[in-house]
Order: sequence, then structure tokens, then C-alpha cells
Amino acid sequence: MMTLKSLERKLQKADAKQAKLYLFCNFVSLLLITAYSAMMFSPTVLLVLPEGGDSRKQMIAIFVLALFGCVVFTIYASGLFFRKKAKQLGTLMALGASGRKLLPGLLGEVFALSAISSLLGIVAGFPFVWILWNSFKLITDSNQMALTLDFKCLYLSAVFFVIVVGFSCLNAYRYLKRTNIMEVMHEEHRNEPVREMGRWCGPVGIGLVLGGAVLGYMGPVVCHRVLNYYAPAWLNILYAPVFVGLYMIMLHTVVNGWRSRKKHPYKNLIARSMMKFQGKQTVNNLLVSTVLIAGSAFGIFYLPMMSVDRIMEIKSRPYDYYYHYRADQEIPGEEEISALAAQYGLAIADFRQVPYLSLGMDGISEVEDGNSFHYERMPLKSEGRFLSQDSYERITGEKISVQKGDYMAISNTDETGLYYLEDTATVLTNMVTFQSLPTNFGGYAHYDFLMDSLGYYVLNNEDYETIAAGLSKEWMGQTAVFNIDGQDSYEFSQDFFYTLVSSFGPECEQPSYYDRVKKYYDNQMGEVYWGDTTRMTKISYSEPNTSDFRMYWKYMPKSRILDKTEFNRTFAVFLMMFLFIAIICSLAAVIIEYTRCMTIVLNNRYVFEDLKRLGASPGFIRKEIKGQAGPVFKIPALVGMTAMYLLYALLMFGNDGKITTNEIGGLAVCLLVLLGIGGVYYLVYRYAVKNMCRQIFE
Amino acid sequence: MLYVKNLHKSYQSGNKSYNVLKGINLSVADQEFVAVMGPSGSGKSTLLNCISCYIPFEQGTITLGEQELRGLDENSLAKIRNEKLGFVFQDFMLLDGLTMRENILVPRIIWGEADKQAEKLADQLLALFDIEHIASKYPADVSGGERQRTAVARSLINQPLLILADEPTGNLDSKSSRAVIESFENARNKLGASIFMVTHDSFAASFCDRVILLKDGTVYDTLEAEPGHKEERRGAFQDRLLGAIREMSNMEDSL
Ligand SMILES: Nc1ncnc2c1ncn2[C@@H]1O[C@H](COP(=O)(O)OP(=O)(O)O)[C@@H](O)[C@H]1O
Ligand SMILES: [Mg+2]
Repeated sequence: MMTLKSLERKLQKADAKQAKLYLFCNFVSLLLITAYSAMMFSPTVLLVLPEGGDSRKQMIAIFVLALFGCVVFTIYASGLFFRKKAKQLGTLMALGASGRKLLPGLLGEVFALSAISSLLGIVAGFPFVWILWNSFKLITDSNQMALTLDFKCLYLSAVFFVIVVGFSCLNAYRYLKRTNIMEVMHEEHRNEPVREMGRWCGPVGIGLVLGGAVLGYMGPVVCHRVLNYYAPAWLNILYAPVFVGLYMIMLHTVVNGWRSRKKHPYKNLIARSMMKFQGKQTVNNLLVSTVLIAGSAFGIFYLPMMSVDRIMEIKSRPYDYYYHYRADQEIPGEEEISALAAQYGLAIADFRQVPYLSLGMDGISEVEDGNSFHYERMPLKSEGRFLSQDSYERITGEKISVQKGDYMAISNTDETGLYYLEDTATVLTNMVTFQSLPTNFGGYAHYDFLMDSLGYYVLNNEDYETIAAGLSKEWMGQTAVFNIDGQDSYEFSQDFFYTLVSSFGPECEQPSYYDRVKKYYDNQMGEVYWGDTTRMTKISYSEPNTSDFRMYWKYMPKSRILDKTEFNRTFAVFLMMFLFIAIICSLAAVIIEYTRCMTIVLNNRYVFEDLKRLGASPGFIRKEIKGQAGPVFKIPALVGMTAMYLLYALLMFGNDGKITTNEIGGLAVCLLVLLGIGGVYYLVYRYAVKNMCRQIFE
Repeated sequence: MLYVKNLHKSYQSGNKSYNVLKGINLSVADQEFVAVMGPSGSGKSTLLNCISCYIPFEQGTITLGEQELRGLDENSLAKIRNEKLGFVFQDFMLLDGLTMRENILVPRIIWGEADKQAEKLADQLLALFDIEHIASKYPADVSGGERQRTAVARSLINQPLLILADEPTGNLDSKSSRAVIESFENARNKLGASIFMVTHDSFAASFCDRVILLKDGTVYDTLEAEPGHKEERRGAFQDRLLGAIREMSNMEDSL
């Protein structure tokens, strides 16, 4: 005896294939979301990506992208599932089953499918992160990389879980509420044509993407520079044309195609019309994949852009070692270092040491008033380290002439870090005697090695003597450089670093942006210096191996071999984070594209069957299939990657108004990486085509 | 049995509305086999879908048995579709995951459950339509004609007042078509079923007692078959049908 229940069970069994796709999509979405939020909430990662920093913001931005992708992905999967289910529902309804009768069974099925797949996805998310993370660890062994997880990330997964399950159940309900049974029955073959637009829409789309990128990028800059207003977050809306433009490009691709068809009006006619008739889905799919691929390119670019810059900088250093210290500290000099080096069988060469003065500088500063700001001259704005003309020449071996009454700032050759340097000072102040010396900005001297976030300046010898009078040791310092005669050793460099750290007193346990002059001024004005509040990142001698310490300690030495060897480690977490992001986004994009191809086969089976009946050769059908699968893979990859590449170039240009040699190198590496990824996409494309053909010919 | 009075139906497309049915009047008597013919696009399917209440209509009344269909809620409509109507579709609409026998039982399962008695009836129908040998096969594994005969059997399982069929032979070759039409005849002659069939195939229509010609959303003509020897009568009726259709399309040309 058969009842409705046993009937439904039978039908569910028959639909297993369709259900599998649905299960898989939900599973992958939840897995990706969980894996990503696990990363985002992981204390290990949060420790490395400073709060409020750009990397943290980028991580969140890409998470939003991935979230968006996954939401669309699951909605899409459930839509697909119901489209298939619709024939069944429609038939049962046509034969007199009321929605009320079908609801419990359908709801039960949908709930079970979505809940189980989502839960499995969430559970699988953790091993997935763990495996990914640890395979990176193999490559870039670093001691701060043991992954710890904070299970707060489950909140995000839970929200997503509710969305997925809720949406599926809602969809089920919506289908049964429909009264036009014919529509439900033929839902599977329903076409969703897109609105046609002229051939202008593609080029206009490209224009909008480029325009939007420039507008979105320049908007805040203009706001800041011209209107003296802090760009509010909503100004990002200026990027909106990018998305409109993307949509138009996709639309153009689907509806018109890029090649002129004047010569071959019937070329790919079938493939194109199939695309067109399922246009809405196609365009949505292309758009989501494009955004995800752009996200992954963004993540991947971070690696070469960051490492090329750093590697080139390390390579171009004129000295193996550099350190500086306050004159009131007991720091190893040439003799001690020679002795230390001797323990490692090394000899030092070219040791040079010169004194510097720490002086107060005035300057023009942005003063906040709420959301906007104005410029104001501060009498004691910042601390700067001043070398005499002679000292500069001794260290650099280069001639320099500074006019009396002038000061010069030491910048790198590309002048990319000018924001660390003060070019508006008119008075230098001796912070002990409070004698002052009128001065003028005399331009930049170029010496990459002495460029850092504290800033070095050069004074005329005479001025140097004048302002130095009466200065205490606390406000004086020494800068030293040396080479290793022959091959350097990593053990020595480590020993040197730890010895140096342990020689400094607690008064030097400060990050580089802790400014003693600014502090003096603020206290003078009766205010608390922000560096003395909890807002300032704390660094500690007890953690000399954290990336915070190495990046931000005020007296961090430079060592070619140390920096090179530890480069991987210190930045591993950064790099891994972005690589991880890239992998997740690419994976999501590829899965969406692959699923799309499978859907095309499912939906257009009858078209292919008809073609076969009309005598189409397997070769012809394969070509049609390629015509379908090609754009699904090619367009998002092309558009997403190009857009991100241009955006990165724009960013590289924007950060300092020029594209430096290092940046060109970085961009070149990015291009190679893109080609590599393109190759991977191509393989997936081939695989998809193979599978599609198998489905049609079997 | 079935009375359709002054039925109007239009489709909305964009912001235009197309009148498809413009006041249809017709009836089907008990145990009558009636066909509706007409050129493609004349509104045959639309008429059938309105009678099945698959799609809403604007104006007119449809009465089935004693029951007026308009204004019924979805649940009562479902009950009527299940108990009082049987359906045969052009594309069969069998459920892929079920065997032929199970497919036949579906309306009964929807009604309540398929008990021994229902299974017995299903087996009788399988025998009547000569498809016993495929009873435990799946739709994908049998021919179109066999599928459609299964669908006819399905439409009879709840012993409905009326069977509605939309182009039941539309997807079939002539041999299968004949088998399907004969199964309709059998259903009428042996089970006393009433059948209302839409077709554009004059051969299929020539088996009917009466044929209604539809044109531009109105009833153009009604032809009745004379009583007589079955095969002779059918041939003559088909000739008359073809003549009437020719006349109908000539009218169009001369306009
Ligand atoms: N869902 C629909 N929406 C809009 N127009 C429709 C729809 N279904 C049918 N039509 C139109 O109504 C007319 C009659 O269709 P139909 O009843 O299917 O004709 P037939 O079955 O006689 O070939 C046709 O012109 C058709 O284009
Ligand atoms: Mg029709």
C-alpha cells in the first residue's frame, strides 16, 4: 500500500543526483564561510594584522566579497534545485495535490537537505583551515604561526546557516503557493531572457568601470586635499559605477558578444541564443565569478607587490648592518661587535659611526575639528634626527652641500616615503636649552639606506655646532654601519640582534612613532600625549621575534642576512592570509563556474538532443558546448583580473604619485602569477567541457 | 456534465493584453467523446487549462457535474482535479522516479492511499490498454505511445467525471497515436468515461462523437459523427472534418 509519504520518499531517491548538487553547493558555501571567519577571528591572525591597519581592512573587505559570493551561490543552488523539482511539484499539483498536502513533505526534504549540508560544511570548515594553514607552515616555517582559533567565528557561520535554511524553506513555500500550475510544470524550461541593449553597452561598461575606479579612488583624495574634509565612509559609493559597468560588460558579452558579426552572422548562433535565453542567470553568474576572481587577484597581488619591494630593498643595501641608539645607552661599539663576530669566525669591515642630534621641529599639521580639519602651524611638531654635513658624507661616501640656514631631508631615490619627513619646518629647537635656530627646507638628499620612519635630516656643519650646544646625551645619538668581511652568518646576526636588544634600557622600549617632542608639547598644553594612552601599540623587549616588534621598535637595527632570512617568517602570516583569501575566492569562483556549466547541460539537454536528431556531428556539438562553457570561464577571469591589475597599478601610482622600479618589478611578477592562475582556470575549463560532453553523449 | 458559458481569457504581455478566448460556449455530455480542433494559436490549450483551473480566467462560468468551478479556493479546486477530473498531457508528465504502475496510482495516492482495490484497478487498466508488460518499468525506458497509454490509465484511476487531454498524440507517431486513441475509446466504451480532447490531428478527432472547431478564440463550428459502422463512419467523418477545416482556412485567405 502506497501513501503520499512513501511516494515522496521514492521521488526523493530518484532526485538524488539533483540533490547532490544542491548539497554540494551548500556544503562548499558553509565550508568557505566558516574557514574564512575562522581565519578572521583567529587570534594568531589578529595578532599579525594590526587593528585599524590596511591589511585588516582588506581582509574584511574581501570577506564581504566572499560572503556576497557565497550568498549568491547558495541562492543560486536552491533555485536550481527547485527548478528541477518544479516539474514534479507541478505534475502532482495538476493531478490534484493541494499545496497544503505537499507542504510537509517538501519542507521536510528541503530542511533536511539544507540543514545537513550546511552543518557538514561548518564542521568541515575547521579541518579545511587547519590543513591549508599547516601546508603553508611547511613552506614558510615560522614560530608565530601555530594557528589558534576563536570559536566566536561560529556566530557568523550560524547566521549564514539560518539564511541558507530559511531561504530554502521560503522557496519551498513560495512554489507551493503558486496557483498557475502550468507555469510551475514548465518552470524547468522557462527562459529568462535579459533586456536587450545596443552594442554601445559593452564599451560604455568598460568606461564606467575605469571611471568608477578613478572616481572612487580620487574622491577621498580630492575631499581631503581640496575640501580639507575627512572622507566619510559613504564616499565609497563613488565606486558604484564599477559594478554597473561590470554588469553592462557581462550583459554585452551575453547578448551581443564582442566580435563584430557583420561578416559571419550565423557563427555560434546556437550557443549565443542559448546564452541569451538563460541570460539572467548567465549574467548573474558571470558577475559573481568576476567579483570573486577580482577578490582573489587582489589577495594574490599582495604577495608579489610586498615581497618584491622588500627583497629589492634588502638587496640594494650598501652595508650589511645598520643600527642607531641614544647616546645615553651602553651599546656595543666596534670592538665588542668585532669580538662577537670573531666567535662566529667572522671579521667586520667598513665600520663607520657618526653622531646625530634629536631636535624639535615645527611644521604644518592637520588639526581635526570633528569630520573636517584645517592646517595649522605647530611650534613643536615632531622630533627629527640631524646629521652634520660631514657625518653624512662619512657614512654615504657622497658629497653634499647644505646652505647655512637650511636643512635637507634624507629620502630614498624614488621619494616614496616622503610622508615620514618634515618639509615645512622653519625653526629647529634644542630640547634641553630651548635655543632655537631659524631654518628653511633645502630639498631632499637621496640615500635609500638611511630612509626610515623616524627621518634623518642634514644640517650645515656650522648650524649643527650651534644648535648642539648644551644638548644632553638623552637628545643625542649615534648611527653606525658596518660590513662583514666575506660570508655573513645567520647565527651571528641573531646574536647581534639579541645582544643589541638586551643592551637598551627600558626608556627605549618604544615604538617608532612615539615622538618625544610631540609629547613634550602636548604635556605643555595640558593634554595627554596619545602615545601614552592605550591607543599606542605596545612593544616589548620580551618579544623580540614578533612582527610588531621588528616592524615598530624605534631602534630596530637592519641586518641584510637577518632581514632576508626572517623576511619569510615575519611576513609569512601576512602573505598566508592573503594567499588564503585568494584560494578561497578562486575556489568559490571556479565552483560557481563549473556548476554553471553543469546547469547549462541540464537545462539545455533537449536543445542538444534536438541538434543530435538534426544530424549534428559530435564535433559540432562539442563546439557548441565549448561556446557555452568558454564565456563562463573566460569572461570573469579576463575582466576580474584586468580590473584588479589596473586597480593595483592605480594604487601603486597613487601611494606616491609614481610607479617605482620596484613596483614595476612587482607588477611584472603579478602578471606572471596571473598567467599561472589563468592556466589553472583553463584546466578547470577543459575538465568542465569534458564532463559536459560526457553528459550529452552518454 | 461539463458546461462552459461565455468564457473570456486574455494574456498580459508587457503592458498589452491579448484576448485569446472571446466568449466560448460549449458542453460535453455524459459518456461523450468530444474533440476540440483549431489552428495552432487558436486558444485550444488555453481553453483546456481554464477548464482545469490551471490558469485563472476573467469572465464566464464553467460547471462540472453540478459544481460551478469559479470562485472555489485552491483546496477545493485540488479536490476536484483529483476526484472529478483526469488529465492527459502532450508531454506525458509522468514522474521519472516511479514505475508505470506506480505512476498510474499517483492520483489515488494523492486522494488518500493506494489500497488493494486501487492496485487491482490499476492492473485492470494496464491490461485494458495492453501495457501490462511495462508495469514495472520506468518512464525513461519505454516508448512514447506506452507512456501516453500509461497516462491515460492514470487519468482513469480515480474514476473521474471527465478526462481532459491536451494534444495527447502530439508527440507520437501514427501507430502510437492510434493505440492511444483506442485506449480512449476503450475507456469510454468499457468504463463509461467522458472525454474532452484537444487536438490538431484530424485522424485522432475522427474517432470522436463530436468535434468543436475553434478559431480566433470563438467556436467556429461543431460537427457530429453519424451513427454507423465504426471504420466506415470514421473515414467519412475525417473527410468532413478536413473539408470544414479547409473551409475555415479559406475564409481566412479571402479576408
Ligand atoms: N502563458 C502565456 N502568456 C502569454 N500568451 C500566451 C500564453 N500561453 C499562450 N499564449 C498565447 O495565447 C494564444 C493561444 O495559445 P494556446 O492556447 O496555447 O494555443 P493552441 O493550444 O491552440 O495552439 C497564442 O497566441 C499564444 O501565443
Ligand atoms: Mg496547444
